[in-house]
Amino acid sequence: MADAPKKGTLRAAYRRAADIKPRDARTWQVSLNAFAFLFSEMVQYNQTRVDNIAELEHRLEHAGYGVGLRMLELLCHREKKRSKASWNSLICPQHPMEIALWKDSLEKGTENEDEYMISEKELLVNRFISVPKDMGAFNCGAYVAGIVKGVLDGSGFPARVTAHFVPVEGQPRPRTTILIKFSEEVLQREARLS
Amino acid sequence: MIACVAVVGQQNNPLFIESFTEGEDELKFHYIVHCSLDVIQEKVSNPKKTGSAMNETFLGLLYPTEDYKVYGYLTNTRVKFLLVTTDQDVRDIDVRNFFRRFHAAYVDAVSNPFHVPGKRIISKAFTERVGAIVKSFGAPTT
Repeated sequence: MADAPKKGTLRAAYRRAADIKPRDARTWQVSLNAFAFLFSEMVQYNQTRVDNIAELEHRLEHAGYGVGLRMLELLCHREKKRSKASWNSLICPQHPMEIALWKDSLEKGTENEDEYMISEKELLVNRFISVPKDMGAFNCGAYVAGIVKGVLDGSGFPARVTAHFVPVEGQPRPRTTILIKFSEEVLQREARLS
Repeated sequence: MIACVAVVGQQNNPLFIESFTEGEDELKFHYIVHCSLDVIQEKVSNPKKTGSAMNETFLGLLYPTEDYKVYGYLTNTRVKFLLVTTDQDVRDIDVRNFFRRFHAAYVDAVSNPFHVPGKRIISKAFTERVGAIVKSFGAPTT
């Protein structure tokens, strides 16, 4: 870098984060605290630069989108064989990303044909986050939704992905659901192929 | 001797072309790489005719010209790697190893948060790594 990054800029945060070494170099595990710290910094950085909640969610989703694209490349590299099925059809359970992260929890939505859901008890990113009441229904899971969106877009299934809190009786914290709504062209392609 | 390596994106847009022979016309390599894209497309759409397995990332020898041989590799994300070599006797295992290391270097380059997906790869580290992989290509292994 030609000039030293200013304090508080995202580049500075990234360079500081680059100093966070994996605990165990062989298995490349990063500590949860380090990730939580980095994520909280990211949320705070965006919070000071937006005017409303929707824009904050949009920014987090945009951040996750880039991660999703790159994760797709990485997962494809680690997976030895090339599976053609994932290119053409909507058989999401066979999608490498869904297999890697959410083995069985991809469900089909009941309302519409084009909606799928991934349901988690508690998202990793939300573990250390409590949303103040005046922010309404804001969910930092927008970041994870962005990751999923990036993976789907990168493999040719454009979709709208959002994260929602779903209150469940008997549990203090609500479950988080990631809603995937595929776009028209994906459905048409699916109808053509099947 | 490797003459040229290329990375072509999903919309057949060139992401990275690097030639390793001096004095050669770089445009010629652009033409060769461009022609190989047609061969890749043919292989992908007619797997039974051309004999390559559906599940294979390594596409093998795409087509030999009088001076060069072109090898192809296709990832799950439809990104294509192409290798243009002047060697006459090239072992299959060498090319496969080359593409494996090249794929790893590519994934690392794309993981750069300042890289815009779909644009050319301008990372110097990637160029150096590719140069190192090219240098060690074909070196006799014990």
